[in-house]
Amino acid sequence: MKIESWLFLGGIFFFLPVALVYGYMTNWDEWVGMPALFMVTGLSAMIGFYLYYTARRVGPRPEDRLDGEIHENAGVVGAFSPWSWWPIVLATAAAIGFLGLAVGFWVLYIGAGLAVIAVIGWTYEYSRGDHAH
Amino acid sequence: MTTYEYATDETREIAPRVVPVSKGRIIVNWITSTDHKTIGYMYLIASFMFFCIGGVMALLIRAELFEPGMQLLQTKEQYNQLFTMHGTIMLLMFATPLFAGFANVIMPLQIGAPDVAFPRLNALAFWLFLFGSTIAVAGYITPQGAASFGWFAYAPLSNTTFSPGVGGDLWVFGLALSGFGTILGAVNFITTIICLRAPGMTMWRMPIFTWNTLITGILVLMAFPPLAAALFALGADRRFGAHIFDPEAGGPILWQHLFWFFGHPEVYIIALPFFGIVSEIFPVFSRKPIFGYKGLVFATIAIAALSVAVWAHHMYVTGSVLLPFFGFMTMLIAVPTGVKFFNWIGTMWRGSITFETPMLWSIGFMATFLFGGLTGIILSAPPLDFHVSDTYFVVAHFHYVVFGTVVFAMFAGFYFWWPKWTGKMLNERFGKIHFWLLFIGFHGTFLIQHWLGVMGMPRRYADYMPEDGFTAMNQFSTVFAFVLGMSMIPFFWNVWITHRHGKKVEVDDPWGFGASLEWATSCPPPRHNFHSIPRIRSERPALDLHHPELGARSTPTTTVAKVFGPADQKDK
Amino acid sequence: MSSLDRTSSSRGGRAKVLAIAGAGALLLTGCSEQVQRGWLPNAERDITNHTGSIQDLWVNSWIVVLLVGLLTWGLIIWCIVAYRRRKNDTGYPRQLSYNLPIEIFYTAVPLMLILTFFAFSDSTERAINTPVDSELVVDVRAKQWAWDFNYSYQGQEKYFAGTQAHLTGEEGVEETLPTLYLPVGKSVTFELNSRDVIHSFWVPAFLQKLDMIPGKTNHIYLTPQVEGTYQGKCAELCGEYHSEMLFNVEVVSEQEFLAHLDTLNDGHIGEEYDRKPGEVARNEIHGEGE
Repeated sequence: MKIESWLFLGGIFFFLPVALVYGYMTNWDEWVGMPALFMVTGLSAMIGFYLYYTARRVGPRPEDRLDGEIHENAGVVGAFSPWSWWPIVLATAAAIGFLGLAVGFWVLYIGAGLAVIAVIGWTYEYSRGDHAH
Repeated sequence: MTTYEYATDETREIAPRVVPVSKGRIIVNWITSTDHKTIGYMYLIASFMFFCIGGVMALLIRAELFEPGMQLLQTKEQYNQLFTMHGTIMLLMFATPLFAGFANVIMPLQIGAPDVAFPRLNALAFWLFLFGSTIAVAGYITPQGAASFGWFAYAPLSNTTFSPGVGGDLWVFGLALSGFGTILGAVNFITTIICLRAPGMTMWRMPIFTWNTLITGILVLMAFPPLAAALFALGADRRFGAHIFDPEAGGPILWQHLFWFFGHPEVYIIALPFFGIVSEIFPVFSRKPIFGYKGLVFATIAIAALSVAVWAHHMYVTGSVLLPFFGFMTMLIAVPTGVKFFNWIGTMWRGSITFETPMLWSIGFMATFLFGGLTGIILSAPPLDFHVSDTYFVVAHFHYVVFGTVVFAMFAGFYFWWPKWTGKMLNERFGKIHFWLLFIGFHGTFLIQHWLGVMGMPRRYADYMPEDGFTAMNQFSTVFAFVLGMSMIPFFWNVWITHRHGKKVEVDDPWGFGASLEWATSCPPPRHNFHSIPRIRSERPALDLHHPELGARSTPTTTVAKVFGPADQKDK
Repeated sequence: MSSLDRTSSSRGGRAKVLAIAGAGALLLTGCSEQVQRGWLPNAERDITNHTGSIQDLWVNSWIVVLLVGLLTWGLIIWCIVAYRRRKNDTGYPRQLSYNLPIEIFYTAVPLMLILTFFAFSDSTERAINTPVDSELVVDVRAKQWAWDFNYSYQGQEKYFAGTQAHLTGEEGVEETLPTLYLPVGKSVTFELNSRDVIHSFWVPAFLQKLDMIPGKTNHIYLTPQVEGTYQGKCAELCGEYHSEMLFNVEVVSEQEFLAHLDTLNDGHIGEEYDRKPGEVARNEIHGEGE
């Protein structure tokens, strides 16, 4: 995971100087682009440092090693849902909500209610029934 | 001698269905799917449909511009709605979701993953895109019509004083919803690439398409949140009585900065994945590895990073931005783009090239994008941009770069990966007819627009005077635009006859020289992509599997070559 | 492929570019005038005091850009022709995958070209945007969908209020457009303002445009040097009749200019006529005529 962390951390070495140069050249007076460039630096740093410390903790994984063998990742790789109704339900709720923002606030409340149901259904989908853990 | 590795002991056969699947069951299977391949197909189909809708709008625009006077449309307001929605649809409902579609279908296969990291989130992202886009386009069925303030929605034209219809509100909130879908999709792609690669698939062995997907995902994370913020702010002005973009407080320039901070990375978001697609195709049909693998990766990273720092080149004529800074940074982007170009040429150099349809499309992309890139260099200079900004010169430029990249590489990807997705190959002859009709139609439509712009025709003009002298050029452009429209017919025909009568592909790799991992599994792949994954010891694992005679290569040992040279090769 | 001998391309980048531009310019002298100025709409080179340098930058940049393009297209065509797989070819070519000297070469050369281009572009831009104290100041007020011109010249304050054009698809509209008059040979400062949404002031023959942004005044400084009639267009989407926001520019002798000013009303229609939707709502309601 080291290389991935450098990809993000490397962003700091570009965005920070660019932000400083831009800020200086605009007399620290351009309050849209200048903060935005600093924030992009922050975004790179945040993700980069997270990956860096995770990489240190976890060490080289089979997919980081040049001599990785396929059987090393045998077994359960992750939780992959076979199918689910909740994504389209949540998306419908969100769509109704955003539509409400555009056309009339009473619609927003309907969307918000549906969204609460959808989020709960989604979160607990695999805690019950056939696929319960 | 490469050996197969079995991930599990189960190579069981699944018994074939006896009872036929009902149409309802098929629909339910698709809308509840969390399989990245199915979701990817839905993205590809939906974005292609938006492409066709946006294309029809373009034909209406070109038809109206055939002659001075308004012959086709009732009002100029309708014309403004047409170009606003054409731009919105093409950029945000066609090109961006198309990236998500290709990334979804291909990337997990290329890294040996069973699916993406968050399958349900993947599905959510698709539905958010579809519903958000539908809301935005739904403006057309309202009495005052769809949004008509241009796809960049400059303030104060986009506020309720100057654009009062609900179409504008639907546009704002529909795009905000769709934008969240894009962000969630990017999160998924980045996580998948970091966490779900198969053993031996180091970062420096990933295919270029996967690298480009990763870098595009990072760009999405940097660019779409400012768009969401800007859209919510505009929504607040329109619906909640806010004064964020009021002229007295510098609102118009604030909007432009926010929008273009998103808008410029957006055009690289729609370009980079398609650069990745052609980077997959050139090696296969030149029978050589991609030239300068690490240089390509570094160039892509450079393009992405620079693209965040150049947004105000869209604002040169506002008189409110630091011209030297943005001029210089914009000109700089030409350098890594040139590196990529010469690397593609280097891939073909001393190769053994055949011209099946994917290669034809990829070469067409290079020829077209080159000219668009060159006009981009002209535009990057502020004193030259002062004359041609907001004219048909810019329209020509961006159609060359965007259409040249997105559409040509899209069809290249379709023809290339169709056997992998469907188990059948598209017909070569109709593919060639499709290519040449489109190539001629495209250049006929857009080349002449460079002259139109330089000679004085502004963009977004519904009409022009006979005295302008623009009539002949407009007529030329319109005729070829219809040729371009008609070029879709051989493609639709091809898809239909392949579906009905196409021969099933029996092998993993019908092209014979496929390099990346998706060519090491069946056509189409099984539910979780691989029954078995070959050992990965280079950036071309399927090639190593199918052509062991091409011999061992090893990573060069000199320090410079280690850093800037080829992908990690076999070390054992 | 053997690496080319040139590894150091940093020396002589500028001279190379000038030489190429010179050769290209020589080639161009065989072409028509229109081609020679790269199809720019300034019928003469020095319509204003800036058009000459803009035209030079345009033409020279295009020459270099097209040479780069021809080289690259040439390489692509070469590959298609020379390296196509022949009918009885079998096997695979040598699996070359990198060549550092070449890659460094095609990184460094474009970088040199870019630096040169930036130098020329920056100096031209500086010259255009340098403020100049002008005898004539024109306060242009753009509005949906026409133009107001306020002239401030030798102590006189005159104004002209334009009305929207109506395109019919037939000839004849052009002579009815609002017209801006300018005296030849005199430096003019345009103060560009907007009464409502963003518009853009563009005279194609002057090769310059600048946006007019509500809440902000932009400036153009130039000296028209050739008498004639020129077209003017709005170049930023401003609503339904954006394409009808047209005007003419008449560059005339100073006599004619003064004569024209005499036909106009005294005064200045400035920001008191701007649309300020927020303010109007906040102020008290006035009755008609108050």
